[in-house]
Amino acid sequence: MPNKVNAQLLETIVKSIFTTMMDLPIDQSEAPWGLGGDRLTSIVYLEGDWNGAVSLECTASQACQFAGRFLSMDPPDAVDDDVRDVLGELANMIGGNVKSAMATGVRLSMPSVVDGDDYELRICGACVQDRLAFRFIGGDFWVTLVTKKDGVPMSAVHRSTAQVN
Amino acid sequence: MDILVVDDSRTMRMILQRAIRQAGYRALTVVEAENGVQALEKLRGERPKLILSDWNMPEMSGIDFLKEIRAANNRVPFGFVTSEISAEMKVLAMSTGANFLIGKPFTPEAIEEALSPILGGN
Repeated sequence: MPNKVNAQLLETIVKSIFTTMMDLPIDQSEAPWGLGGDRLTSIVYLEGDWNGAVSLECTASQACQFAGRFLSMDPPDAVDDDVRDVLGELANMIGGNVKSAMATGVRLSMPSVVDGDDYELRICGACVQDRLAFRFIGGDFWVTLVTKKDGVPMSAVHRSTAQVN
Repeated sequence: MDILVVDDSRTMRMILQRAIRQAGYRALTVVEAENGVQALEKLRGERPKLILSDWNMPEMSGIDFLKEIRAANNRVPFGFVTSEISAEMKVLAMSTGANFLIGKPFTPEAIEEALSPILGGN
């Protein structure tokens, strides 16, 4: 099945979600991929006639700011269940809109959220199709669309002290 | 119970509660459920004016929840609030008995537009 999702559509989807749900304008940036220290990754998988995943990666501080904007409250001081829930919901919305742009026969998984300062998330049997950096007043964060390599099973592997919800 | 909000995300349930209030329906009682199974339990003995449900949930999805309540001949107005709004899903939702679909992300105005024909003016 042809994948109708490209970088331009992914950018449109992400910007729409951040503007509509959080009143938070974001711009695409050229920042190189990479986050240090405490960070979070939320991810949803798409399975069926097209197989891949969408992830959102940001720092803990950014995630708290997103949660504050999402819930119209002061940002939490530290990552808590509401912050993880918001990150998961953002990935779910991005993944759902990506799925809607594809043809029929694709299922969306529940979102997963990993957080900590020492983890690595690898999606075995998949490769990056598009990775976009976005910038807001709180810095840069990344949204990545990965797609399954032909003939290779896809599974997620994470290592470390990370917490998975 | 006037409105049953079904979503596995606690923060999304909070957002929907706020959107319902912003739409002017502050006097209505809103009850929350985390999935279709829990929602069916909360529906026992109740006759809400409206159900707002996510689609993609653990335990029981929104579409399976809708099938269950329609199979029980319950005609309660039912709307999906979901990030998945493909043409395929719209057809499935409406043919199963949904009254409307609201896509995520949504504005408070989109919620008000969907609720107004069912709940009346506020």
